[in-house]
Amino acid sequence: MEIIESLKLKEKEYIEKLENGMTVIIIPKPELDKKYVIWGTHFGSIDNRFIMPNSGEEVFIPDGVAHFLEHKMFEQPNGTNSLDTMMALGLDANAYTTNDHTAYLFECTDHFYEGLDELMDYVQHPYFTDENVEKEKGIIAQEIKMYDDEPGWRLYMNAMDCMYKENPIKIDIAGSVDSISKIIPDVLYKCYNTFYNPSNMIMVVCGNFKPEEILEEIKRRIIPHQKQGEIKRIYPDKEKGINKPYMEMEMEVSLPLFVIGFKDLENNSNKEELVKKHIAIEILLNMIIGKSSEEYKELYEKGILLSEPDMDYEFSDEYAHIVISGQSNNPEKVKEKIEEAINKFKEKGLEDEHFNRIRKKVYGDYVVEYNSVGDIARMFLSDKMKGINSFDYIEKYNDVTKEYAETILKNVFKKENMVMSVVKSKKM
Amino acid sequence: MNYNKKEIKQGINIHNIKTNKFKTNLYAVFLAVPLNRENVTKNALLPAVLRRGTSNINSQDLISKKLEEMYGASFDCGVEKTGDNQIIKFYLETINEAFLPEKEELDKKCLELLFDIILNPLVENNGFKPEYVESEKKKLKQIIEGKIDNKRTYSFERCIEEMFKNEPYGLYKYGYVEDLEKITPQNLYEHYKEFIKKCKIDIFVSGNLDDNIELNEQKQQSNDTETEKSLNQMQANSICKIIESNKHIQELAPRKPEYIVNKEKSEIIPKREENTVEEKMQVGQGNLVIGLSSNSQMENEKYVMSVYNAILGGGANSKLFQNVREKNSLAYTAGSTFRRQKNTIFIRCGIEIGNYQKALDTIKEQIEDMKNGNFTEEDMENAKKLIVSSIKGISSEQDTEITYYYGQELSDSFSTLDEYIEKINNVNKQNVEELAKEIWVNTVYFLRD
Repeated sequence: MEIIESLKLKEKEYIEKLENGMTVIIIPKPELDKKYVIWGTHFGSIDNRFIMPNSGEEVFIPDGVAHFLEHKMFEQPNGTNSLDTMMALGLDANAYTTNDHTAYLFECTDHFYEGLDELMDYVQHPYFTDENVEKEKGIIAQEIKMYDDEPGWRLYMNAMDCMYKENPIKIDIAGSVDSISKIIPDVLYKCYNTFYNPSNMIMVVCGNFKPEEILEEIKRRIIPHQKQGEIKRIYPDKEKGINKPYMEMEMEVSLPLFVIGFKDLENNSNKEELVKKHIAIEILLNMIIGKSSEEYKELYEKGILLSEPDMDYEFSDEYAHIVISGQSNNPEKVKEKIEEAINKFKEKGLEDEHFNRIRKKVYGDYVVEYNSVGDIARMFLSDKMKGINSFDYIEKYNDVTKEYAETILKNVFKKENMVMSVVKSKKM
Repeated sequence: MNYNKKEIKQGINIHNIKTNKFKTNLYAVFLAVPLNRENVTKNALLPAVLRRGTSNINSQDLISKKLEEMYGASFDCGVEKTGDNQIIKFYLETINEAFLPEKEELDKKCLELLFDIILNPLVENNGFKPEYVESEKKKLKQIIEGKIDNKRTYSFERCIEEMFKNEPYGLYKYGYVEDLEKITPQNLYEHYKEFIKKCKIDIFVSGNLDDNIELNEQKQQSNDTETEKSLNQMQANSICKIIESNKHIQELAPRKPEYIVNKEKSEIIPKREENTVEEKMQVGQGNLVIGLSSNSQMENEKYVMSVYNAILGGGANSKLFQNVREKNSLAYTAGSTFRRQKNTIFIRCGIEIGNYQKALDTIKEQIEDMKNGNFTEEDMENAKKLIVSSIKGISSEQDTEITYYYGQELSDSFSTLDEYIEKINNVNKQNVEELAKEIWVNTVYFLRD
C-alpha cells in the first residue's frame, strides 16, 4: 500500500490499486466512533454516450439513467431492499448521483462489517425487471417535481444553460419525466456492465480501522470480474465561448435569486496545477466579494445583499466554471460590483495584507474539512474521481503566491466569459 | 465522562466538553428566555444587530477581518425555538492550535471577541447604532417574508402554527413583520439590557483545550489515575479561568432565570376534532404535513414515543416510507419527525396533488396499524438500533454534542448519552402499543396549487 502523510493535518492516507483495477483509499481515524464507507463509480449524468469496451457497441442513453440506476441498485431478487436491510442494522445508508460519479455509502458506529457485506453485495448484484423499473418511474417523477419547485435548482440549471451550448452538464441529473419514461432494463444493464466494473470504481473508508485488515476485508468481498478495457466516453467538442450572457425566469420567491458565473476555458489537464489554481480561485473569490471585502460591505449596508454569496469553482475534464450565488433585490448591482472589484485588482494588483489574511482563512477552511468521517470520505472520493489527492490542497497551499493568484485572476475572471442567471419574484 | 459543568454565578454556567476528535475548538453561548408574542420579534432582531459591531470593533467588516486573521475562525449567530423557549445562539469555531502552520494563541482571542460581540455592543445616544438597526430590520423582514421560498419548510412551519395556535410554540421564531415598525434603536437597546439581566446564560466550550502544555506532559508521565484526574481538573479550570476573568462576564449580575423547564412528563393536550387546513400556492407538488398528539401519561413516554416515531416514519424501514413511497409510489419523501419538547410527531410527505386522499388514507392506515399492534419485535429492534446509532453518533459532531447537553440543561432531568441509550433499549413492544392507543391526529395541513 502506498502511504501518504500530511504532517500539517497529522493524518495518513493509505492507497491500494487492486489487481482488478479498483482503487481503495483508507484514512484511519482511531479517535472517532463513527465509521464511513463510500463506493463510487465514475459514471454520472454527463456520461450519456459511450462505447462499451467488450462489445465495441456505441450506446446513447436517455437523460437521467445514472440516477435511475442508483435508485434501482437497492432492489434485490428476493424482494428485499438493501437500503432497508442496512437501516435495520442501524446504519445510516444512502446513495447519490452527481455530474461525474455515483456513490453508495453508509455511516455507522456498530455493525460495520455486516453493513459492508450488504453494501458490497448489492452493488455487485444488479436486478432490474420491467416491473420494478416501471414502479420506480413514479417515485423519480416526484423527485423531479420536487426539484422543479426549487428556485435554487432552476436558477443553477439556467446558469449552466448560459455557459454551455451542448455540454452534458446542462442535463438535469435526474433527467425529465419524459426522458425517464424511456428507460428499460436493457439500458440499465448496459450501463451497469460498463461502468460498474471494478476498474472504473473507487472505494474510500474512514474511521477506526487498521489499514491492512480493512483492505483484506474489502478484497474478500469482491466478486472476480473479467478485466475490461478503457471505456471510451464521447462528449461534444469543447466550446469556445459562452452560450448566452443572461437568463431569467419568474417563480414564487420573496426575493430574486442570482447566479453569476465565469466559464473557465483554460486547459486543466495538469492536476497539480489545477489544485493550485483552485486554491487561488478560492482566495480571489473571497477577496472580490467575501465578507470583509469593500464590495460586500457596500452591498450589505445598502441592503442589496443579505448575506455572503456562496462561491464555488466546479470542474471536471469536461467543464470548469465559477459559480457565485445568492439572493438580492438588485442582482445587476451585485454583478456590477463584482466586475468593479475584478477590474480594480487587475489594475492595481492584490494588496499584501489582504491576500495574506484571506490565504490564512482559506487554510482554515481546508483544515475544518477533516472534522468528520463523512466529510473526509466524500471529499477523497470526489477529488479522486477528478484525479486529485485531497491532501494536495494543504500541501500546495504554500505554492500559491500573490503573483500566481494575479495570473489566475487575469486568465479566468474574464468579462466575456461572465454570465448571469436570475429567478425573479412573480408578482403575487 | 468528558462533560463538566460549573455554575459561575446564579443563572450562568460554563459547560466544558473535552474531546480530541476534532481539528477545531467550538465555543457557544446560549441565552434563553420564555417565548412570547410581545418579545419574539425583538429577540430575533438582537443577534443580527449585535453582530454588526461592538464598542471596540465597530463594524462587521472589521469583525470579519479579525476572524480571517484567526485562520478563518467562523462566527455565527441566530435564534431558535426549543420547546417554549426562545434561544439566542452565538457560535465561534476556530482551528485547534495543533493544526496551525505557525504557532499562535487563538483561544483567548476567540473568547474575547465572542463576549465582546454579545456583551459589549456599540451604543450611541442610549441606543444601538441607528443604521444597523434599520438595515437589520429590513433583513429580518425579508427573512420573515422569505418563509414561503422553501415550500417544504414553509408547510412544516404552517402546520406547527395551526396546531399550536395561541400558544407560545405556535409563534414563528423570527417574529412578525407588523412588530418591526415599532422597534427603535432606543427601545431595542432598553430591551437588550433587560434581556441580558434576566436570561439564562450557558457557555459551552468543546475541543482539545489543554492550553497548558506542561500539564499534558505531566499527564503522560503519571501512571496513577488520581494525578491524571487532578491534572484534568486543572486544565478544565484554565479554560474556565479565561472565561471567568473576562471583564464583561465579571460585570454580569447573578440572576434567577425565567425559562421554561422541559419536563420529562408532558401535559395532556385536550383531544379535539381533527383540524384540516388547506392552503393554495403555485406549486407543482403538494406538501402534506400531519401533526400527531399523545394523551398518554406513561412514565417513560418520551422514549416510547421516540421508538413509536422510528417505526412509523423514522427511516427506510418505517411504515410510512414502505407504504407511502415504496408500495404505492405516492411520494419521494415520506417520513416523520419527533419533537421531543412538545411531545408531538409530524408526518411529512411531498406528493402528487391529485393523490391527496389516497396518501392521507394510506398514512392513516399506518397510524391505525400502530394502534392495533401491527408491528413486529423485529420492527422494535430496528427502530431502537436506528435511535441508538444516532445517539452514539452525537459525540462525533461538536455542535450536536453541545446541543445534546444543552437539551439536558433545559430539562428537569439529566441523562448521559449512555443512560439515554439504556432508556431507549428498555422500551418494549407493550409500551409502544399502549402509547399508540393514545396517539391522535391533531392537525392535517396541505399545501397545493
